[in-house]
Amino acid sequence: MASICSNEQALNSPFAKKLADEQCQKIYWACLEILERTGVCLYDQDAVDILKKAGAYVTNGNRVRIPSGMVEKAFSTVPKNLSLYDRMGNRVMQVGGYRSYFGTGSDCLNIIDHRTGERRQAVLQDITEGMTVCDSLDHIDFVMSMFLPSDVPQERLDRYEMEVMLNNTTKPIIYVTTEFSGCADAVKMAEIVAGGEDTLRCRPFAACYINVTTGLRHNEEALQKLLYLSEKGLPFTYIPSAQGGVTAPITIAGTMAVNYAGVLTGLVLSQLKREGAPFIMPGWGGNMLDMKTMVQPYADPQKRAQSIDFVHYLGLPMFSLAGCSESKLVDQQAAIEAALTLFTDALFGGNLVHDVGYLESGLCGSLPQVVICNEILDWLSAFMKGIEINDETLALDLIDEVGPDGQYLDNPHTLKHFKERWYPKLFDRSNYNGWKSKGGKSLGKRASESVDQILAEHKPEPLPKDVADAVHAIVVEN
Amino acid sequence: MLDITNIISAVLKGDEPEVKLLVLEAISTGEKAGDIMNKGLIAGMDEVGKKMEAEDMFIPEVLMSARAMNSGAQILKPHLTEEDSGGIGVLVIGTVQGDQHDIGKNLVKMLMEGAGFEVVDLGTDVDPHKFVSAVRDNNATILAMSALLTTTMPMMADVISALNSEGLRDRVKVLVGGAPVTEEFSDEIGADGYGPDAGSAVRIAKTLISGEV
Repeated sequence: MASICSNEQALNSPFAKKLADEQCQKIYWACLEILERTGVCLYDQDAVDILKKAGAYVTNGNRVRIPSGMVEKAFSTVPKNLSLYDRMGNRVMQVGGYRSYFGTGSDCLNIIDHRTGERRQAVLQDITEGMTVCDSLDHIDFVMSMFLPSDVPQERLDRYEMEVMLNNTTKPIIYVTTEFSGCADAVKMAEIVAGGEDTLRCRPFAACYINVTTGLRHNEEALQKLLYLSEKGLPFTYIPSAQGGVTAPITIAGTMAVNYAGVLTGLVLSQLKREGAPFIMPGWGGNMLDMKTMVQPYADPQKRAQSIDFVHYLGLPMFSLAGCSESKLVDQQAAIEAALTLFTDALFGGNLVHDVGYLESGLCGSLPQVVICNEILDWLSAFMKGIEINDETLALDLIDEVGPDGQYLDNPHTLKHFKERWYPKLFDRSNYNGWKSKGGKSLGKRASESVDQILAEHKPEPLPKDVADAVHAIVVEN
Repeated sequence: MLDITNIISAVLKGDEPEVKLLVLEAISTGEKAGDIMNKGLIAGMDEVGKKMEAEDMFIPEVLMSARAMNSGAQILKPHLTEEDSGGIGVLVIGTVQGDQHDIGKNLVKMLMEGAGFEVVDLGTDVDPHKFVSAVRDNNATILAMSALLTTTMPMMADVISALNSEGLRDRVKVLVGGAPVTEEFSDEIGADGYGPDAGSAVRIAKTLISGEV
């Protein structure tokens, strides 16, 4: 576990902020105005009815305008902190505040096969291997499916993904499903593993990632999932995908306002469905499509940090995004973009930070890239800690005792404390000859060998046979 | 029979009290001091050396092991026969003239002691003639020189010519090291070995003396 917490020792450990509270308030008020004045289009009758009954103004069948008071009320019932458990029922994450946890992304169409270096379509076995690698890495705290398997029946691929995740890691899972029925099946599988509906609600180890068309236009599946999960009291993220310049203004503030108006719509609905239902907000905003290529840049410097500040201002748990790259290869760009984005999220205190290891703007994944990100996170875990300054660490008596000509290498004080310093596992610090004698390998090559080693040695804790069978029955059910 | 593995693992752990205890036990059960030394303590430090070179051990831990080994060796000393009391050889070490850097030199010194060498440390900024007399007076097997600067590196060649003109060059193996020193430079000045880091310096020193036998 990365154990990263921004501002952990108030003003004595690293911390960053991009928006002042007054700026956050302006964005919040903008969202409220959009909801009251412009409204949202909801493509699900239940959702429209629930909002109408609670006091929203509905025109043209599904154009819903939501009074500010309804939003304000939702804030009074939604939990501000969310505990997530592992598959065994241990509480492993407290999602909220400034604590950061890191995990992969989901559903990459392609993989750069570390054995051949070739980019190819992903298959189910890639997810098995990806989960095995994630299960073994210290700083991958939760998983998403990583890849979209091309070799299973496409209409049920989300069930296959869920099964492989459940079978190959005990870490918390964030699942994505295409249709609503896939979501219900994923919940069924999680309930079987947890040992029942109530156990899963009390100790949730899985959360659903819900993607919504745009800020002001909410698709039927997203709304159905939201209402279903809220009723069950199970955690989910609600992520409208407003794209600056296309489905929202190109300006960061404008895109954020449109996107979070959509998020707040989801929040209101969830609390109307069940007061106290957990709700996870997106921690990025101000998305754009690149105005040259129409690609959505994941490692964009301008879409990050301000939304983390904004969600801290709103006081809710957030789902964030880092460790990703636009690069087509596990190369210098991939390493730099991964490092900068992870660094940003650690400093600003993003909570559930996903997409670690993404390449090609979310279209390609790589296991060595995840291993490299794990090393970056190890570095960040050390960097984010505050410094202890006291008699023992200043060691003035020792300094006087050793004197100007002495040395500290074999001093008991050195022995006592040297392991408090950070030592890399994957990054190389050897001298030239040492590096050469170990094969003179690049970071990419070492990361790739590390993947092979993990796959050869790491055996994730399997599900009990009867549980695995019951899960599989749902996957293949007609 | 001497349970060598216990001594080896106590040395590896750097557990000084444990090493002392095991050496005393071995002596009292009538084990040969030479065997305790070679198959236990020195074998333990061989393992440490390998781990250090493989970057599986931290330097402070290596030094703990070396210290534990030395304590064991002190207890053994009165019991060693004439034949095996000389350890594995005398090593003269120093940083060359004009150079004050001694972190690397000190580390090599401590590790050489841990490996069983009797070490004569001449310190830093050592005059070539001082090296030569130390080699002669101590009947040294190895002369180890360190330099951290490209400007002081050439002093190593001066020391080797001084050894030549005193007729001592054939009696001693010359080992060189320090950040700017390379294998090529070592060959060029006619040294016998070059250690790119402290761990390999010990390994090379041992190879140099075993090659002599």
